[in-house]
Amino acid sequence: MRQPPKNRVAKDAMKAWKISAILSVGVLWLISLTIGILTSLFAWPIWIIFIALVISVVSTILFVFILPRLRWRRWRYEVFEQEIYIQHGILIVSRTLVPMIRVQHVDTKQGPILKRFRLASVTISTAATTHEIPALLEEDASELRDRISGLARVDEDDV
Amino acid sequence: MMSEQRRLHPAAIIFNFIKAIREALFVIIISFISFKDDYLFYYLLVVAGLVLIILTISVLSWYRYTYRLVDDELQIEYGIIVRKKRYISKNRIQSIDLTASVIHRIFKLVKVQIETAGSGMSAEATLKAVTVGQGEQLRRELKVVQQGEGGEDFTRNQEELDSPSKQISWNRLFVAGSTSGSIGVILALLAFGLSEIEQFLPDQFFNQTFEWVIGLGISIVIVLAIIVLFVLYLLGIAGTMIKYGNFTIQKNKEELFITRGLLEKKQLTIPLKRIQAIGVQESIIRQPLGYVTVFAEVAGGSLDKGEDFSTVLFPIMKREEVDAFLQEFIPTYVSERTKLHPLPKRALKFYLFRSVIPFFIVAALVLYFYPQFIWGPVILLLASLYLGLLRHRAGGFRTEEKLLTIRYRVLSKNTMIIVHKRIQSYEKKQHKLQKSQQLATLNLSIIGKLGVGKHYKLKDLAVNDVDLLADWYSYRKKG
Repeated sequence: MRQPPKNRVAKDAMKAWKISAILSVGVLWLISLTIGILTSLFAWPIWIIFIALVISVVSTILFVFILPRLRWRRWRYEVFEQEIYIQHGILIVSRTLVPMIRVQHVDTKQGPILKRFRLASVTISTAATTHEIPALLEEDASELRDRISGLARVDEDDV
Repeated sequence: MMSEQRRLHPAAIIFNFIKAIREALFVIIISFISFKDDYLFYYLLVVAGLVLIILTISVLSWYRYTYRLVDDELQIEYGIIVRKKRYISKNRIQSIDLTASVIHRIFKLVKVQIETAGSGMSAEATLKAVTVGQGEQLRRELKVVQQGEGGEDFTRNQEELDSPSKQISWNRLFVAGSTSGSIGVILALLAFGLSEIEQFLPDQFFNQTFEWVIGLGISIVIVLAIIVLFVLYLLGIAGTMIKYGNFTIQKNKEELFITRGLLEKKQLTIPLKRIQAIGVQESIIRQPLGYVTVFAEVAGGSLDKGEDFSTVLFPIMKREEVDAFLQEFIPTYVSERTKLHPLPKRALKFYLFRSVIPFFIVAALVLYFYPQFIWGPVILLLASLYLGLLRHRAGGFRTEEKLLTIRYRVLSKNTMIIVHKRIQSYEKKQHKLQKSQQLATLNLSIIGKLGVGKHYKLKDLAVNDVDLLADWYSYRKKG
């Protein structure tokens, strides 16, 4: 665990995350807009709309422009014959080891945004935990899924 | 081999009825409060109708519920309108437990709970009420196949003869009760109950009582309070003693067998294979007296067994007796629990900071709004400071060939012993401040109750140690 894992997730992940962040932040802007309209209708104090705007702007900068890049830089994974090694986390860096013999099933997953960029994420489940490698290229994801499920072999008597 | 269709004992009607009424009780009470003034008559009519319907359903569902043993299967048929059949093969049955509540014991009945190997909440059958004789017969017959499988009935019998068992003594039971700390729980319940009752009492009554209490003078009020506390304490003792009375653990070849309860008799079978970790807990009251509780994390199982989130293997014993106990019942888990590798000194400031910070905020608020009461938060602040110190001191770990022992404290001090292959994943976490101090947090996951993961955290270990532990855990180098 001294060295980080070798492989990065797809570069387009940043774009995909950016878009989903824009969608979430869009909700915030809608709320701000509503507040703005209400403020002008009912003559509420002006600082309410001011605060709403500040919150919207700050979270837009943070979630749309800063975090996706940081997140992409931190996300790494490596699959060995005996175990899977994952690193993620922006403020708190987490490195996880998942032994192959503890893996129960592997899924690939693709939402509309990931699909647009021809990406997919791989989810690895043990009896106690779930781990995700997000936003790999489609063919990488399915190759990884097949490889892990080939290597995974749960001991029946251990459960 | 019993093969005719059988019904449960008619007392099952009572259980069905009670269960349904209990579920409807909330609605009945709520509607009573809202309708009692204007529509009392109609309200009573509706309730009477409801009770009648529930009663009919209870009787019908008892009448339509049958079970029988055919060859190697337990066949259960039930359902009033939609008929359901559940067939459980003998080979799949992992445990059969007979428990008896107070009502069961009046009628000399037992509840039979059958658990299968499926992890989580799946396929499990419960026969709500059969006579003790039938229950035991059922258990014997369903177990026959399992024992015969190895073709070593004889040796098995012999082993069962000298299988170790341990029963709680009355002395210890009393100690367990008086140190259980359940008085806090009862106080909370009482406070909750009072606040509920308050709504139903007329204001006048309240005022009179209040004046009466004021009139008594401070010394009598204090004496009264002490008496109330003492009675609550006794209740707490009684509660624990009833729950853990006659606690007996017994080891058969591949399973632990626990019976407990003074009023309610509960049985629990734990297949050794399903134990994921063993824990030794020293609560803050018991620790100075040298008493501990031994518990196990068992994968799967169901919550309706009335167990808490961990399964108690023995409610109370002296710290020194733990090794002998583990040696006798679960020898795989014997480790040098006390010789742990401690947390580094530099981790102390993180621990102090973490436990102090919520009280610090409280203190700041109090200082701002009610400066005259500042002594309260200050005392809490000092206590939390001390707790932080204790937490730092409690933290530690140790690896043996296949065993990992970790110790941590929230309020109680817990020592967890986990076998290498039971650890589902290993995580190292580090934030910026930890990084600058060469510290990291360790997070282990095992399978818990109901197939949900259970996670153990050890905060602020030396980064070096976390990496060494990762090497110990990793399957890579050993090939």
